[in-house]
Amino acid sequence: MARDFREPDHLPKVRGDEGADPGELPRQRRGSTPQMHGRYPDYDCLEQSEHWDELTRKLVVDRVEHVPELRFFSDAEAATLTAFCDVVLAQDAEPRIPVLAFVDQKLAGGRLDGYQYAGMPDDRQTWRLVARGLDESARSHGAESYAAAPIDRQQEIMSAFAQGELSGGVWEQLACKRAWSVVMRSVLAAFYSHPWAWNEIGFGGPAYPRGYARLGIGLGEAWEGGEALDVDPGAGAKQRRPA
Amino acid sequence: MRLGGNHFLGSVLPRGNDSAFLLDVHRRGVPGRERMRRFRDEDEVDLLIVGCGAGGAVLAQRLARAGWRVVVLERGPFWDPDTDWVSDEEGSQHLYWTDKRIVGGEDPVELGKNNSGHGVGGSMVHYAGYTPRFHPSDFETRTRDGVGYDWPISYSDLKPHYEQVERELPVAGQHWPWGDPHSYPHAPHPIGGAAERAWAGARAHGVEMRVGPVAIANGVFGNRPHCIYRGFCLQGCKVNAKASPLVTHVPDAIEHGVEIRADSIAVRIELDEASGQVTGVAYVEVKTGCERLQRAAAVAVCGYSIESPRLLLHSTSKRFPQGLANTHDQVGRYVMVQGATQVAARFPELLRMYKAPPPEISSEDFYETDPARGFARGFSIQTVSPLPIGWAEHVLADGHRGAALREYMRDYNHWAVLGSLCELLPQPNNRVTLAGENDQFGMPVARFDYTQCDNDRANIAFAKKTMHAIWETAGAQDELTIDRYAHLVGGCRMGSDPETSVIDSDHRVWETPNLFVCDGSVMPTQGSANPALTIMALASRLADRLAGKRVQAYVSPGARRRPAHELRSTASRSGSSSPAS
Repeated sequence: MARDFREPDHLPKVRGDEGADPGELPRQRRGSTPQMHGRYPDYDCLEQSEHWDELTRKLVVDRVEHVPELRFFSDAEAATLTAFCDVVLAQDAEPRIPVLAFVDQKLAGGRLDGYQYAGMPDDRQTWRLVARGLDESARSHGAESYAAAPIDRQQEIMSAFAQGELSGGVWEQLACKRAWSVVMRSVLAAFYSHPWAWNEIGFGGPAYPRGYARLGIGLGEAWEGGEALDVDPGAGAKQRRPA
Repeated sequence: MRLGGNHFLGSVLPRGNDSAFLLDVHRRGVPGRERMRRFRDEDEVDLLIVGCGAGGAVLAQRLARAGWRVVVLERGPFWDPDTDWVSDEEGSQHLYWTDKRIVGGEDPVELGKNNSGHGVGGSMVHYAGYTPRFHPSDFETRTRDGVGYDWPISYSDLKPHYEQVERELPVAGQHWPWGDPHSYPHAPHPIGGAAERAWAGARAHGVEMRVGPVAIANGVFGNRPHCIYRGFCLQGCKVNAKASPLVTHVPDAIEHGVEIRADSIAVRIELDEASGQVTGVAYVEVKTGCERLQRAAAVAVCGYSIESPRLLLHSTSKRFPQGLANTHDQVGRYVMVQGATQVAARFPELLRMYKAPPPEISSEDFYETDPARGFARGFSIQTVSPLPIGWAEHVLADGHRGAALREYMRDYNHWAVLGSLCELLPQPNNRVTLAGENDQFGMPVARFDYTQCDNDRANIAFAKKTMHAIWETAGAQDELTIDRYAHLVGGCRMGSDPETSVIDSDHRVWETPNLFVCDGSVMPTQGSANPALTIMALASRLADRLAGKRVQAYVSPGARRRPAHELRSTASRSGSSSPAS
């Protein structure tokens, strides 16, 4: 089925579900996106990096080329939280953006956000407690750990976490909704600061010193990727996906 | 028409501020730092300012021109946009005040990147750039609407300073029909696709929107380049096109002999118990951990709504055991934020909202009280344009995660966002206090409690309904909403009565004649306007009064020598740190 993105029929609220199957999107042809699908198959913002100022270029390219090693989380915590990050970001296949590595780097460096909710522990402690809590919740459903639980169970626990519905054990030490907001702040920042995610959504990336000249509706710079319209990614991609 | 000297320099420039020309054409950092005047701790400077943001920097620049010897302490670094800033969302965390703070109350306010600056230039380094004036009604909400608190000054006291600061920034925008109607020195900027959509929707819905006002030069302005519309206003302007005190007042301040002591956090204001006057400020050098004490004939606290109350509350003495300025338990109270719910709308075309500055068009049609709405005061509506991380937070807040979150993220370029600024009312228990733990400098951490009142909730709900209605008229295909707050003001409010305020109309602490507060914390109400311009205008007014000696900065008790600046007429500016007496 060809998909025309002028219509909103792929959107979750319009459809009343999680949105259209991304497996139907075109495969990324230039550069990478997480899971290699996206709207802009011929756009790779990293190809523009020679137009970026040197400081920004180093910072952004490093996110791709030098993934930091874990220093803050233990192996067990990392296993649990990596599974959580994959579920909450729907990263169900390679290539994946190594979100937890960036979160780890931030926490290990003590770079916190500048506020802590009354009654909540330090953000670093909150992360460790969340890892324990996710494992406890998974065990109460018979799994060995969160990472070992089936994907449906992982999603269920993640949703309950988002809605502040987890309780008992470690969750009694945390305001569940506040913990969700602490954790997600870092998860989203790590994922959407990665140039692969920018390729997926068609974001122009750093724009200094070049800037933009074509600002109006439907306009783009010559180097900005066009959206994949009227392509037919469906048939082949769908058949390749496991049921 | 007579052509003044300024016209031959290529653009109309403000009087009494050469900052735009003191900057370098080819580099963004402030030139002349290496030859900045230095004072010794034991020099009694005329004025010691704590905080180099919208309030402190303007005050310093003005008074230096009037011949005062001024030192500014700033907790954060002296930024060089070329070497310290990046064109990246996540890489800009160092621009924000990220020292620990506790947030509480029923509706806690997120701090950090949302509203708290750090370094020379303060929060204006990462504000969007909107610089609307307050309306005349904002200064007398108690009298007009029976809510809030009347300021001890009126709009007309600030008007000449609004005009002056608008020329200094400079502000670009269309003629402004709301409040006290006025025009701007620079023409409006072009707008992006998202704002075009919003504008069409508003027009069809009968809501008037105008381009601006934004503090971004539109055309030649001294040595500051034109905006390149890259959309990273909130990450610090690497171009020097967007105004912040770092480019609009600091260069001129340094040229006129101000010392800006960056990486220096004030920890205590020193008081002479006998005279009841302050004598200087103890501060810690962030890089060495050494505590030092700068002597001063007068002190101005310009640390904004969290840090100013924190410093005053922490400066206890026998005479003021509850902290300076706090005899009537007013310090830290009536802190306000604006309800800043944002509603995003989806359209068929690619709008690419990351282009053009995030602040584009706004409306003040709903600013004033309308009894038919069932609540007091109102709100304004402005376009905002989140970058990917900001957009992800928006999508998450609407309740989407996993595959749904990714789908809305992929749809990024089809969306436009309207944001509201709802005037939330000042309440005594929305306050800054000292928490029971200390930071790395041995100073108690600030705690900020915030709870909305019924009027606040009604205002936010109405604003949200209005934005939805605009988008529906515009033909939106889907909408996503995030509830959030913006800005901070109040905490050391000015007033006419010592029992219900912290400072008088000249920013002077009621009980301490040579101590001033000059930042956003002094505002008794906040209107529905972004506060930066008003903070600068207040500082400009105070400087005018101090320099013109309509207010004496120091009241000399018998034994005290005359103010240093009156004695220094023969001291050469380059002969730096000779004591004035």
